[in-house]
Amino acid sequence: MVNPESEAKREVAMGDSASAMRHLVAYARPYLKEFLIVVALVIVYILTQVVQPWLIKIVIDKDLIVSHPLLGPIITIGGLYLIITIVGLFANFMQNRRLQWIGQRIVRQIRVDLFRHIESLSMRFFDTHETGRLITNVSSDTNNVSMFFTNFLLSVIQDGLSILLVMGAMLLLDWKLAALSFLVIPVIVIISVLFRKKLRESYRFTRTHFSRLIGYTAENLGGMRITQIFHQESKQFDRHTELNQRYTKGNITEYRWSVLFNRTFDALGNLSVALMVWIGGLAVVHHTIEIGVLYAFTSYIRQFFGPINSLTQQWNTLQSSMISAERIGGVLLTENEIKEPEKPVVLRQRHEDGQLELAGEVRFNHVSFGYSPQKTVLNDIDFTVLPRSFVGFVGETGAGKSTLMGLLTRFYDVNQGSITIDGIDIRSFSQRDLHRAIAIVQQEVNLFSGTVADNLRLFRREISDRAVQEAAEIAGADEFIRAMPGGYQAWLTAKGANLSLGQRQLLAFARALSLNPKILILDEATASLDSHTETILQQGLTRIAEGRTTLVIAHRLSTIRQADRIYVMDHGQIVEQGNHQQLMEQNGHYAELVQKSAPDTVEASD
Amino acid sequence: MSPKEIMRSFALSRKWYYLIAILAIGVAEFFQVQIPDILGKFINRLKAGHATEHVVLFFALDVAMVAAAYVVAFGFGQLQIGRLGRTLEFELRQTLFAHWETLSSRYFQMHSVGDLLNHTLNDVTVVRQAMSQGMNQVTQALFLFAATLYMTIRTINLGLTLVSLIPILLIPLVIVVVGPQVRMRSRRVQEALSNMSELAEESFQAMQLIKATSNEPVELERFRILVEDIVDRQMHLVQLNTVFQAVLPLLSGISFVVGLVYGGDLVIHHHISLGSFVAFTAYLSMLVQPLLQFGFVINMFQNASASLMRIQVLLAVEPDITDPEHPVEKNWSGEISIRDLSFEYPGSTPKVLDHVSITIPKGSTLGIVGRTGSGKTTLLNLILRDYDPPANTVFFDGTDIRDMRLSDLRELIAYVPQDGFLFSTTIGQNIAFSQPTVEPEAVERAASQSRILETIQSMPEGIDTEIGERGIMLSGGQRQRAAIARALIKSQAKVLILDDSLSAVDTRTETEILKVLRQVRGEKTTIIVAHRLSALRDADWIIVLDKGAIVESGLHQDLLRKNGIYANLYRIQAGGEPSHG
Ligand SMILES: Nc1ncnc2c1ncn2[C@@H]1O[C@H](COP(=O)(O)OP(=O)(O)OP(=O)(O)O)[C@@H](O)[C@H]1O
Ligand SMILES: Nc1ncnc2c1ncn2[C@@H]1O[C@H](COP(=O)(O)OP(=O)(O)OP(=O)(O)O)[C@@H](O)[C@H]1O
Ligand SMILES: [Mg+2]
Ligand SMILES: [Mg+2]
Repeated sequence: MVNPESEAKREVAMGDSASAMRHLVAYARPYLKEFLIVVALVIVYILTQVVQPWLIKIVIDKDLIVSHPLLGPIITIGGLYLIITIVGLFANFMQNRRLQWIGQRIVRQIRVDLFRHIESLSMRFFDTHETGRLITNVSSDTNNVSMFFTNFLLSVIQDGLSILLVMGAMLLLDWKLAALSFLVIPVIVIISVLFRKKLRESYRFTRTHFSRLIGYTAENLGGMRITQIFHQESKQFDRHTELNQRYTKGNITEYRWSVLFNRTFDALGNLSVALMVWIGGLAVVHHTIEIGVLYAFTSYIRQFFGPINSLTQQWNTLQSSMISAERIGGVLLTENEIKEPEKPVVLRQRHEDGQLELAGEVRFNHVSFGYSPQKTVLNDIDFTVLPRSFVGFVGETGAGKSTLMGLLTRFYDVNQGSITIDGIDIRSFSQRDLHRAIAIVQQEVNLFSGTVADNLRLFRREISDRAVQEAAEIAGADEFIRAMPGGYQAWLTAKGANLSLGQRQLLAFARALSLNPKILILDEATASLDSHTETILQQGLTRIAEGRTTLVIAHRLSTIRQADRIYVMDHGQIVEQGNHQQLMEQNGHYAELVQKSAPDTVEASD
Repeated sequence: MSPKEIMRSFALSRKWYYLIAILAIGVAEFFQVQIPDILGKFINRLKAGHATEHVVLFFALDVAMVAAAYVVAFGFGQLQIGRLGRTLEFELRQTLFAHWETLSSRYFQMHSVGDLLNHTLNDVTVVRQAMSQGMNQVTQALFLFAATLYMTIRTINLGLTLVSLIPILLIPLVIVVVGPQVRMRSRRVQEALSNMSELAEESFQAMQLIKATSNEPVELERFRILVEDIVDRQMHLVQLNTVFQAVLPLLSGISFVVGLVYGGDLVIHHHISLGSFVAFTAYLSMLVQPLLQFGFVINMFQNASASLMRIQVLLAVEPDITDPEHPVEKNWSGEISIRDLSFEYPGSTPKVLDHVSITIPKGSTLGIVGRTGSGKTTLLNLILRDYDPPANTVFFDGTDIRDMRLSDLRELIAYVPQDGFLFSTTIGQNIAFSQPTVEPEAVERAASQSRILETIQSMPEGIDTEIGERGIMLSGGQRQRAAIARALIKSQAKVLILDDSLSAVDTRTETEILKVLRQVRGEKTTIIVAHRLSALRDADWIIVLDKGAIVESGLHQDLLRKNGIYANLYRIQAGGEPSHG
């Protein structure tokens, strides 16, 4: 779990919610016209609401108090009343629909932008942000933000307008009493300010613990197999209970505060009525005002607090929108560490095979790198890989081999030194070109739910079925794909769990091949393959390898024995280099690794 | 237990709380409807002209007191119901989590994390909203309705009340007709949301791949399609919801008109007084707000019922791997034998294991090699009952493992998976996963046995360093060694299973770990699956699987002599050219 301190830091780093909200309000701007229509419709609705009691007044004054009342006019007015009600409801209906439509459009836009932004961020971002949380950002935070527009804003317009109408009516009736009544407004402000901090804190607390709970659940769903095989269900469940309890407790506390807040306004409203009864009543007794005025004022005060109450109910919506806005803002404002060059080097594409016009020379110039400033992982790495050559990297685990490749593909940028392809700094390529030139196959294979073919072409429509199949054939995956029910159209379940690990690796290979890269990186990509399959694969690779630079990391030394050059890494440095023969003669690290890798060393030494 | 039952038993076990809460809201509404009455009387007194300052104060205090009673009673009831709703939310999440823990890998293969997560994230929240906010509003509306009815009947006229309420009585009809539609559409919305979460999850977890292939635009397009789908379905729901929310107040408007005309008629014929008529219209208009709310709340309940249905589907899945009714109890020693085991994965036809028979004596080491997809992992999965083997095929100390308690079986086995899943906790907690209470020394011992201690010590916070989601902060080999340590710390286990668990470590480290294994394994039965033959150098017996069948078996030397698959692999790895065998 993430510790609370870093959590707090992250929250602070997000900046204040107001600026985040402002950032998101931009999403509503295109709908300004729509919003105006909504406001107009709201006004229509409120006006019909105001007209209704007035019609009753007409019935009473004109039709019933007269000496010989008739039913006819009453029916007419009844009809009128019905028409007005229908108009009002229709306006309300249209308003509601339109507003929901706007809301949906806003969420859609935020979702798409957020997703685009997240995908553009560097790997460092993903090192520190849990997937579970990012999903909540995309799915529920966006929704909360849109509630700001659909619920909160609507309430502000509707209730604000009602309040203004009531206040206007009060002023018209008796400005002195009205002024007196308005004294309640500062009280409302003071109460809101008093509650504000508490409400905010408790809301934030709840949200934080909710994210933790969800993050925990997500992770445990992913690792359920391990939990079960290690028989730790009850421990993991206890931890879940703990997190769930903490969240629930926070949630109840938050609810308690919001109930208290709402009921305080309720109480204030009724207290105002009582005060009006008292002060107004005395005034009537002393003949300063008329009874009618008093009656009107007590009802107006009640009408005044109606919308105030519904506004305070919306306070929670405001809270959740604000905090969600902060979280989304926090992500959207995260700058990408990997910068696109302003004027990228333009690479031409070869006609015959669509490959980029590159020779494929890779050079590391005194590169140093660390994931955190305290600890360097790579130290002054300097080497050149000739175009079209096949080089191997070996070395102890954790030596920095994968890191090296991560730099070449720009998952991270170097701290010192530079990396060049054909003498051009990789930071001068557009990432698109760079990634078209380089393909990497990693030991960990990611698959998507979809068909085998879709996974191979990564859902790109421009890659034909034939190309997909050819790539699979070269990678030696064709055979088992055909054996699957449905063949290339077979559906891969969650993360390809219905395949063996080696089969997944073969798919990853085929995928890389169907992209037809200039430089191919294999990061222990054959570790889960048997040597026989691996040999077939390598034969396939050499067949199509003309013109391709290949960088291979392997622990199984037979994989790289044929390499033109082998680099041996240790603790972030290259300690030996040469081909197999030369390295064996040096009798250093490499020779030791080779000796240890013989299947029968033990027998030899025993 | 189905969620309906959960809800029922939850409500029953807390019936007194609910009763008190509902009662409190009822009382509150009773007080609330008194206020217009008091005000009316006050005005009458003032009109009559014999009000004194005293009387005025009295009425003011009366209003204040009634209002206070209303606020307190309502606040109390509201708080109770809200609290209960949140407790229900708690329990639903607990139930879901506990249920998931009983389901096997087979289930998790068919459902993505994003989809499942959406159930506890959104569906549970929707249910809670209905049960707290919705319930509050419904109770309030119903009581307000009842109280108003009571006041109109008592103080005005029974006939008038009944006639004008006829349109309002159509509301249940509308609910019955439109409700199921709303529910269905709402469910489709939730499904679309699940789809989006699912894609987001997959995509965020495959970030390196997506970056390395510059596939962001394609992913974005896939995402955008799902987002559009949500918008469409959401608008489909909104169309119905808004109609629904307009129809209810319309009915109450019609009620009002009926009351107006009929009431007017009654006044004309002197059946009721003008004052009663005025009061009646006031009461009727009091009903508009609750009815407006009612439409909203009914929608909320329909959504909740859709979500509950989704949860229902989830909870209805029966765990397929369970304890036997009468588990065998004995002192297990660790002999594993497999007799004529054939297996195919449920739902896919080809045979993955084909008449496999082998006995692994207690304390011995079995090595398994074989081509990719030949069934090695499957064999191990069956021994672990990750999938259920057919009856009478896999035996532990002569007992069919299906007759063993699941927890016994799994306590007996220490396992290192092929893909080494780690949790995002600290490295120490990961190693001590199966023994949370173990002393730090034991963690250190396991770490040093799997040659990861040095790495841990070089980390910023040592054993307490958090390793990120799925251990992202570690190198591939470090992850694998952490997974080995996690298995080795189970010192009481009788069986040790390594599924290609040294593939990502260099040969020097491999040699060291094998040396340690030789020492610690002692009485343990060990199964090592490997592609690199050097990992099998300590095996007492090696089998070669091909297309699910054992095609070769024996010791290293025997296998070499057979000149078959194994010998071929050996030649490739030992440095020569592959033979064409
Ligand atoms: N995302 C990360 N954040 C922080 N540290 C990391 C991260 N990834 C790797 N490291 C650390 O950097 C060092 C080098 O890791 P790298 O993955 O490059 O090793 P490797 O040579 O590929 O090892 P292996 O053979 O085990 O795959 C290790 O000590 C590892 O703990
Ligand atoms: N959950 C599953 N559902 C359906 N088929 C599966 C499932 N898991 C594996 N298979 C299939 O069963 C066969 C054997 O897979 P298994 O994982 O046992 O192979 P393996 O020998 O461990 O291979 P590797 O060396 O690549 O790890 C493969 O053809 C695979 O596609
Ligand atoms: Mg690596
Ligand atoms: Mg396997």
